[in-house]
Amino acid sequence: MDFNHAFAIEIVPTILQALHTTLLVAVLSSIGAAAIGFTLEVTRRSGRLAGYAMRFVIDFIRSTPVLAQLYFLFFVLPFYGITLPAMVVGVLGLSIYYSGYLAEVFKAGIDAIHRGQWDAAKALGLSGFDTIIFVIAPQMLRNIAAPMGNYFVSVLKATPYLAVIAVPEMLGSGFDIASDTFRYAEPLVVVGIIFLFLAISIAQLVRLLETRLNAAHNR
Amino acid sequence: MSFPEILVGIFEGFRITAAVVFYGLLFAVPFALVFGILQHFTRGILRFLVTAVIEFWRSSPVIILLFVFYYALPIFGVVMSAMTVSALVLGLNIGGYGSQAVRAALQALDPGQVEAGLALGLRRSRILLLIELPQAIAMMMPTLMNLVIQLVKGTALVSLVTLGDMTFRAKEIAQIEYNPVGIYSGLLLAYFIVCYPVTVIGRWLERRVGVGEGQAHGL
Repeated sequence: MDFNHAFAIEIVPTILQALHTTLLVAVLSSIGAAAIGFTLEVTRRSGRLAGYAMRFVIDFIRSTPVLAQLYFLFFVLPFYGITLPAMVVGVLGLSIYYSGYLAEVFKAGIDAIHRGQWDAAKALGLSGFDTIIFVIAPQMLRNIAAPMGNYFVSVLKATPYLAVIAVPEMLGSGFDIASDTFRYAEPLVVVGIIFLFLAISIAQLVRLLETRLNAAHNR
Repeated sequence: MSFPEILVGIFEGFRITAAVVFYGLLFAVPFALVFGILQHFTRGILRFLVTAVIEFWRSSPVIILLFVFYYALPIFGVVMSAMTVSALVLGLNIGGYGSQAVRAALQALDPGQVEAGLALGLRRSRILLLIELPQAIAMMMPTLMNLVIQLVKGTALVSLVTLGDMTFRAKEIAQIEYNPVGIYSGLLLAYFIVCYPVTVIGRWLERRVGVGEGQAHGL
């Protein structure tokens, strides 16, 4: 069997149809990961006991493979009567996995903020919640835009994992073509090239954003 | 099966998991050193080529690389065992991240170190070997620990190309009996037991070296 170029080009549109699922999953998971990660980090700072508990949760998330976490969610939730669409499970899984990494990013971002900012907010009579949302978070975001952007690229690169729980993203659609035609090489190579292209262009975008933010900051 | 029995069953796959990690490191360490150093020293077109190779391994989703190499290479006449493909793909992916750690550490060194070496009349290659690399490697130890964890977690993927690792054992047990909670908690626990000590060592090194988070962005 040879690599069939005509067939490879022929299946590009079919695979690109799944691109919007891939992008949707990536965007939703990035938002979910940032939300959960931020919550984890803020909870970690809220007290001694909560600190230890959240430290453990973050370490546990970071010490187990995303594949095992996806299997866990996919097979264990139905056992307790919670049946969610595969895509929701997938987004939840990626959100939880990357929240462990983003929590660390937020930690570094918050640590970098001058102590005086907290004191000033307190002096102005802001509540703890308002301090975090209106004083700390905006400054933190500028500090961490680059590493956070890099993790969003990682989320995108992790979306093909969802093929194992039958979410119809690009790798899944590639495998559908493969099992229909018994040709594995072409769909997988096409999916690989599209992903490489996507990941590199989004990484460039993050780099551009980073220089823009730095320029705005230094002005 | 009781929970301890399940855990023991899952750990029957540890030999394969450990083998993939070991062989993966045989690819990752030389790749990271050679390409990190090359990227640091080359300029112009040569640097572009080196960067392209690194970016290929770093920017493609590892799950897709694994499938492409496993299913598509035989069509081009390259037949490798599942173990070789897994070690190669996981290793070079981690090696790609590692090369960035090597380059960053070399760049972070005080230029005075090289100048002092030159003033003493040492050859450039000796300066690299005796002055720059020892300091760079010490500096990037925490990052390397993170990358080792990424590699261990990445090995969960080899279950998808028929290798009998811990994830594969868990799925086998799941076919024998319906106990998703026990089996998939056991799987998460198994990886946690393997990875957590490395996390702790990494954090200890981080405190000693005083360098921040690594550049591994999750797989």
